[in-house]
Amino acid sequence: MKIKKPNIGIVLFLLIGVVPFAAAFIYALLYSFGVIGVANNGFTLQFWESVLASGTFFKSFGYSFIIAFVAVTSSVGGALWITLKFRKQLEKQFLSFIIYLPLAIPGIVTGFFTFQLFSKGGFFARISYKLGLITKASEFPDLVNDGLAFGIILSFITMIMPFFVLLFLNVYKNERVEELSVLAQSLGADANQITRKVFLPILIQKTWVLIVLYFIFLLGAYEVPLILGQESPQMLSVLIIQEIKQYDLDKISEGYVVAVLYTLIVSAAAIVLFLPKRKRVYAN
Amino acid sequence: MKRTKYILFGFLMSVIVLSCKEKVPQDSNKLKSASWEEIEENAEGTTVNFMMWQGSTAINDYINNYVVPSVKKKFNIDLQISGGQGPEIVQLVMGEKQADIEQGQVDMVWINGETFFQLRKIEGLWGPFVGLLPNASLINFEDSYISTDFQQAVNGMEAPWSVNQFAIVYDSEKLPSPPKSIPELEKFLREHPGTFTISNDFTGMTLLKSFMAELGGGPNALNGSFDEEKYNQLSEKLWSFINNNKQYFWKEGSTFPKEQSKMNQLYANGELLIAYGFSEGGIEDKVLTGLYPKSTKGYAWENGTIRNSNYLGILHNAPQKAGAMQVINFLLSPEAQLKKADANGMDSNTVLSMDKLEPEWKEKFLDARKRQYGPTLKQLEVNAIEEPAPEYMIRLYEDFRKRVIEN
Repeated sequence: MKIKKPNIGIVLFLLIGVVPFAAAFIYALLYSFGVIGVANNGFTLQFWESVLASGTFFKSFGYSFIIAFVAVTSSVGGALWITLKFRKQLEKQFLSFIIYLPLAIPGIVTGFFTFQLFSKGGFFARISYKLGLITKASEFPDLVNDGLAFGIILSFITMIMPFFVLLFLNVYKNERVEELSVLAQSLGADANQITRKVFLPILIQKTWVLIVLYFIFLLGAYEVPLILGQESPQMLSVLIIQEIKQYDLDKISEGYVVAVLYTLIVSAAAIVLFLPKRKRVYAN
Repeated sequence: MKRTKYILFGFLMSVIVLSCKEKVPQDSNKLKSASWEEIEENAEGTTVNFMMWQGSTAINDYINNYVVPSVKKKFNIDLQISGGQGPEIVQLVMGEKQADIEQGQVDMVWINGETFFQLRKIEGLWGPFVGLLPNASLINFEDSYISTDFQQAVNGMEAPWSVNQFAIVYDSEKLPSPPKSIPELEKFLREHPGTFTISNDFTGMTLLKSFMAELGGGPNALNGSFDEEKYNQLSEKLWSFINNNKQYFWKEGSTFPKEQSKMNQLYANGELLIAYGFSEGGIEDKVLTGLYPKSTKGYAWENGTIRNSNYLGILHNAPQKAGAMQVINFLLSPEAQLKKADANGMDSNTVLSMDKLEPEWKEKFLDARKRQYGPTLKQLEVNAIEEPAPEYMIRLYEDFRKRVIEN
């Protein structure tokens, strides 16, 4: 049997991309039903029942969804605005360097940095104290480990907005939005119309897959919510690790139930979002 | 194309080979009846992997700059350190058991009663081995805080490394008379809202255990094996106390610090007026490094705080059991224990009995550098209580989340 070149690519993709993921998923699935696991005693539905009954997963999923949604929307909105307003300035070397800089900082560092700046004993609290705006640490507003997840959202925006700015700048150039805008203008469109009918549709349409992928990435983020989140509700990855590492060995399987549920939901969402689109492209 | 086929086949084979670890059968049982000379001989020239909590600079300094070079020089043992505590160790053992790995990654571990309980449950520890160590004869096994770990007899399955007590930490300048009982704490919370919290970890749960003992009527209220009825009754009182005062906790009880280290930072920056922890509050090094103010002091709760020991164990699939025993024996030597007791270093209380030591070592221990800030174990002695059975801790974790955090 001859192996053709494209087949090698597929085999390698399966070996590196699919097999480890599938193996991990099957392991988690078996663990969640108590089939494997040193402390488990064979097949049971009790872990699934307990996770579904407690409602913690759904609360955590909703919480993660809202945080990821707010962070992605704000980042994309901000990046579009920056691209629209400061495109020319951003082409200068110094500013483009500044934009690149946050991309080089790992999430965990961004998390710590946000904590150092915004905690009640942090940089801004100290400045407020020196300026006489507050008289003790507890008067400083709750910006990290807070109920509204301000710290988490801020860190996410810091991490991903520069990426979207760079992406939009590139799409702007490659899709000749400048020329199209001039054309629209010569046809009588005003600035507002150009933004709504030319700039936004082109940029969003060309990048929506990446926007959705970033949303999924943030949904499963770990380090930032670990440092800046509160104890309840927690973002999904933090919840999963907490369940898997808990002291009650008989309940470790519940962590795997959460992991399996999360994977199923995200995979289903990805299939629903990406498949019909691809078909349409091929149909054309 | 044939070549590509071979390359692919080779790649697959190497993946398979790499995923299977070499299995070298070791006669562990033979080691249990071996003489110390034979064990020493087996230990010579080995590489021992030690998994331990690496969250303190003083501890890391002691291990990396004293223990590692000492065992290399004395016994030609390469001691490799890897980071990990309770849950990580248990996860590792469970994973390796699952995969049927006979030669594990780690030889020895630093654990406490809860992990001991879990590792015993999954048969993750090797032993008994403590009786084989020459320096074990110097250990004060008459002390029940050393020979019993979370109400479980140690039975030679883990070697005590140091003994310590939980203490409450406060700044004597900001808070001249800190609370010493639950009613006093309630009063304190109302007078100083937002300055107290419970960390959602081992440390916080230990505090809750001493609160439960107080609610149970005395220091010995939780002694003995786990009692479901007692737990339900006392924990009910505990949750209602916390929930009734939740609005006076840090961040109005909407969240709790994940770990003790976070709570320590909150204490250091003045958000909290009270912190707490094992090693008599861990005050000394934090004052010396400038994290805590010099006016920081530590004390035990009126009804008592928990005193326990921490231990060294050998994993059931440790490839170098003899090497691990040699290292543990060294860590229990008067020399290593004295170095560990230095108040400017690791600041640990020795597990060795002064009566069993040679006079010269006894003198050295008495002359060792003393604490300037934190309380001594001796000072807290009258308020010491035993660690309750591990099930109390496991239940507290779960219920603290359900009844307080998510409430």
